[in-house]
Amino acid sequence: MGFPQSDQPHPVAPAAAPSPVSNRAAAMAELRRLLPRLGQDRRHGRRQEPLPFGLPTIDSHLPDDGLARGALHEVVPATEGSIACAFGFIAAILARLARARPLLLIIPRHGLRPYRSHGRLHGHGLDTALGLDPARLILVETAQRKETLWAMEEALRSQAPTAVMAAIDTLDLKSSQRLHLAATDAGLPLFLLRPAPNLDASAAATRWRIGTAQAARDRFGLIARPRWHLQLERCRNGRPGEWVVEYDHVAHRFSLAAALANCSRARGADEDAIAQRRRA
Amino acid sequence: MLAVAGPGGPRIAALNEAAEVLGLAVGDSLADARAKAGFLQVRDDDPAADDAALRRLTLWATRYTPTASQWSETDGADGFFLDVEGASHLFGSEEALLADLAARLKKNFWLEARLAVAATPGAAWALSRFHASRSCVLPSGQEAAALAPLPIAALRLQPETRTTLRRLGFKTVGALLDKPRAPFAARFSAELLRRIDQALGRVDEPLTPIVAPPVYHSLRYLPEPVFTHEAIIAHANRLMRTLTHVLERDDVGARGLRLSLYNIDGAVEAIDIALTLPTRSVEHVARLVALKLEALAASYDAGFGFEAIGLAVTGAEPMPARQTEFTAAAEDGDRTERCAALIDALHQRLGPESVRGFEAVASHLPERAEILVPIAGEAPALPPPETGEQNPRPLLLLPRVEPAEDVMALIPDGPPRRFSWRGVTYEITGAQGPERIGAEWWRHREQKPTRDYYLVEDPVGRRFWLYREGLFGRETAAARWFVHGLFA
Repeated sequence: MGFPQSDQPHPVAPAAAPSPVSNRAAAMAELRRLLPRLGQDRRHGRRQEPLPFGLPTIDSHLPDDGLARGALHEVVPATEGSIACAFGFIAAILARLARARPLLLIIPRHGLRPYRSHGRLHGHGLDTALGLDPARLILVETAQRKETLWAMEEALRSQAPTAVMAAIDTLDLKSSQRLHLAATDAGLPLFLLRPAPNLDASAAATRWRIGTAQAARDRFGLIARPRWHLQLERCRNGRPGEWVVEYDHVAHRFSLAAALANCSRARGADEDAIAQRRRA
Repeated sequence: MLAVAGPGGPRIAALNEAAEVLGLAVGDSLADARAKAGFLQVRDDDPAADDAALRRLTLWATRYTPTASQWSETDGADGFFLDVEGASHLFGSEEALLADLAARLKKNFWLEARLAVAATPGAAWALSRFHASRSCVLPSGQEAAALAPLPIAALRLQPETRTTLRRLGFKTVGALLDKPRAPFAARFSAELLRRIDQALGRVDEPLTPIVAPPVYHSLRYLPEPVFTHEAIIAHANRLMRTLTHVLERDDVGARGLRLSLYNIDGAVEAIDIALTLPTRSVEHVARLVALKLEALAASYDAGFGFEAIGLAVTGAEPMPARQTEFTAAAEDGDRTERCAALIDALHQRLGPESVRGFEAVASHLPERAEILVPIAGEAPALPPPETGEQNPRPLLLLPRVEPAEDVMALIPDGPPRRFSWRGVTYEITGAQGPERIGAEWWRHREQKPTRDYYLVEDPVGRRFWLYREGLFGRETAAARWFVHGLFA
């Protein structure tokens, strides 16, 4: 209600003196230098530190070398079977955030039947597999879509949590713009888990599609680190991409599983390596 | 008139003035009354409805003072006490308060009330029943003189005691007061002397307030009734501003608030607001009131409008003054405060049961190992994370375990190689386990078999948590398999 309209003009970059930009690379560097101003925090006028993955391969696809802090990020499971992975991906990013303040999870009781049939969040699982301390979480249950939207906006505006995560079944463009603005104003990330079908256009800064991938195994064949197939489907001021990453829950670190995006080949390579070791 | 079933047919339980004029009395049989008076309007007596109506009336009367007490059965259950000490000056005098009360009772409820002000509840009760005028104010210290001419019934005694006294020839309270106490103590139960002492103020008679009296209280009469949310919020705002001064003076903050809306037709809407941290912030309270009204919008009814609005602090806690310097500690406090404000807001709109946090429970069984508890009070504390080797636990736990069908394993107590769940068959490329979790034998009624948990992965990379129920040979002949969770 008290929001500025989304079509507010961006702060205009000061007219730089026409410098003799000779080559293309220099022009690009100059443009890049000016670009972050567009993503400036409107209210405080200071730049928000982004959330890097710590992987240059992925970070280079994102504007500002990381996920924008004050923005709406959408995470979509590639199939119904990868809902847990999508949850895990968000939890992994949340686990990497500062521990000073709690995290808010908004779980609707309406809609999203396939999600809810896959079970409820297990605190011990967050702890042992992803290194996210369940005591940091505040779980909020909502009964209607209206309440879900309200709770998200309220949480962002209060600036109390470090980040807000929610699941929602449908979201129109206007609501997503509103949420994105609330996130920008608060300087807090909002991760929205959305079901794969009926995805409408949205104002999200990024949209990730998360698929399953064979886990990384240690030399005894035990599952050491989960792997996910990430697809950066849409990214404002960035480039889409596709990777298979693994996540180390002790060090809270992402690493690239294989240079190949094809997980079946990655698995083959892994198995070959195990077989070789066995033979040796 | 109201009739109640009694020995020998229905009897009169209550009647109005018109019936009294005809010479009817409470306790007469209905048949006699009909014979005497001809046509009578008779309704069944409904004590529960009477009680509810009296309760509503008592609640309504909290507009005069926060301590209002409904009369119990022994008091006749047909009136209420108000503790007007410290409240009467708001009306100018006790007489003015009585006049206002009488006028409002007449206007709103068509009640011809009998009112009395006295220093003790006993004396006030006696005067309201037996004094010649409809309303009277008794100055403190004159209880004995005022009660002396009144009949014995003015002492709120049991019927048996009353009958015995009448037989002994005591007709007025004064006759009792003149006599020495010792014979009465020997002859009667303690009740008689206690009632006398209570009426004269020798013994305290505590009142049971209908609602817990608040610590701080502020009330505003409105010249015009209000209907809208905005108006209610604006008035709540002003009331809170008045209260803030008092709270600041006493160095406390409100933990619980009650907003009472006095409807013109006599009903009272009470809105209770619980706060996570003590607060004195006017804006915060106004916001919570707004949220609560929004959540209640469907269920409450402004009717003809509200003529008075009261805000009471039902719980107060010391609230140390905080330095507002730009230091790390101040920022920390600020953060806790913001968090508490957010939790309060979520509580008001979604209900306190909807805001929860994980709490670990000492149990080996995964489905019992944690519960969700409503977050109340402080924002969640953040203990340091535990390190060390732990067994894998799934990210999502199914609400109830689901049977896995067509499970194939190379050896009966080995890991599974294939299973179907929800109509889909999964090949297993890697299994990890077993992790053996036994039943909790210390729970008596429970004789569940042992479970062997496996973390399994299919070729695509979906990871499941399966378990086999029962130990081969010892607990079961044909083990069953279940899916219990999904890994990230």
